[in-house]
Amino acid sequence: MMAKQVFRLVIFVVGLCLTSAILGAQDDKVAQLAKEVGGKGWIVYASRGANGTWDLFLMRPDGSARRNITNTPYYEEGGPRLSPDGKKLLYRRFAKGTTINHDLWGFQGNLMIAEPDGSKPAQIGGDREFPWASWSPDGKQIACLTQKGIQVIDLETKKVIRELPREGIYQQLFWSPDGQWFCGVANARMMWTVVRMNAQTGERNVVHEFQSCTPDWFHDSKHIIYPCRPAGQKGYGFTQLWMSEGEGKDTRLIYGEDGFHIYGGALSPDDKYVLFTRCPQDGGGSEKSGAPICVMRMADAPAVAGASKDLRKVHPEAKDAFVLQLTEGWEPFWTYAEIGAEK
Amino acid sequence: MKVVSTLILSLAVLSGVSCAKKTGKTDTGADPKVTTLGSIEVTAQLAEIRGDLINDPLYDYAHVMKYKVLQVHRGKVDKDTIYIGHYNPAKPRDSVADARVQQIGGNVKQFRVGDVHRMALEVPIDDHYMGGIINKYFGEVDDPLYWAIWTNKAAK
Repeated sequence: MMAKQVFRLVIFVVGLCLTSAILGAQDDKVAQLAKEVGGKGWIVYASRGANGTWDLFLMRPDGSARRNITNTPYYEEGGPRLSPDGKKLLYRRFAKGTTINHDLWGFQGNLMIAEPDGSKPAQIGGDREFPWASWSPDGKQIACLTQKGIQVIDLETKKVIRELPREGIYQQLFWSPDGQWFCGVANARMMWTVVRMNAQTGERNVVHEFQSCTPDWFHDSKHIIYPCRPAGQKGYGFTQLWMSEGEGKDTRLIYGEDGFHIYGGALSPDDKYVLFTRCPQDGGGSEKSGAPICVMRMADAPAVAGASKDLRKVHPEAKDAFVLQLTEGWEPFWTYAEIGAEK
Repeated sequence: MKVVSTLILSLAVLSGVSCAKKTGKTDTGADPKVTTLGSIEVTAQLAEIRGDLINDPLYDYAHVMKYKVLQVHRGKVDKDTIYIGHYNPAKPRDSVADARVQQIGGNVKQFRVGDVHRMALEVPIDDHYMGGIINKYFGEVDDPLYWAIWTNKAAK
């Protein structure tokens, strides 16, 4: 009887040691990741400020040196994106108390352009104008998604210099870094289809069908990152982070975790790291306070976190995820421009 | 006494006329909104709803339904069968307007095949609505999709 109890105790202690060794190794890998990315530019993102409204923040990719760069108690701000040269910051500003809708935010509020550190904010146009504005490669133009179509607008004159039919694209339009393409969410054979459009000819192709949205470009302009809630899951299912070539080929899982919806997918400027948010509720959390911003190496993809038994069955090739979890936020954007010096 | 009974009778007749008028309005579905909004106004019978009408508070969409046109009141409609997108069709029309679609309404509570609707419409849908569209006729029907602005119930 006594021997049995000793045996059980030994098993328990060995188990405990192994678990802490595994967790310790994971912690080490995450700490290594933090060290690796800490000096690689800045992440700009929206988060609730001390005043309770949505403000824009800068932080190092390891979560350090975090600071509020708008700090406006009378407005809400979100959707920050730096121009490709890192010299201007584009975002939307909403009236205080506005619920930022995860699908409609590009249509809401005012377009703002400021210095990269948030100083000298200037309102561009009126309420709800310049919807879904995204930068051209040279930062001199923006592309907007309107009811009429996709408009390319010269920022200096504010004039529409080119217009294309929107071909069913209804939200989340983004211009590729090389200027050759747009991506967006469209009605095709079914709604919630991520599409790519040739920015010159307006020709559109399907990238990924079925419950896919919020696409964004890899910096090579050849790949697109997007959240997708695939079919075949139990019940409502969970949104995972995926990527495809612009032609819609080579579709791959980047990160998934049963119990969490993954949104806000974005790449570091060298496409070596991926940013995303991890939210227990679907939608990314813009209606409340966002969700934890996470950093992962693209080399570690495809990765699955947590127990995620069902997801691991579908993706047996997936590795265990080593993810650096940062502060709560929404729609993060990564730049290597050195913009974070204190004012 | 005779004056009082005449008065009561007159009131009853007037009230009856008023009710009849109201009933008439409900029957045709005409009201100041449906007769003025949009560029097209039809009375049509709902012939088919393909797929389930999803009630998801997180995502908005329009669901395309097949209608048989009974009468064209305003505008031009070339075909007897048209395909109309209704916004968030699981919701009653009087509470369907929201941040995405503000100019929309009517008195239809529920979409049922066989019901007759008087509708103010626009066409094509993409010129008037930006959002997800469930179109189970995709690839089968090339006709332009109509967009329902106001949808009232009408008598069969």
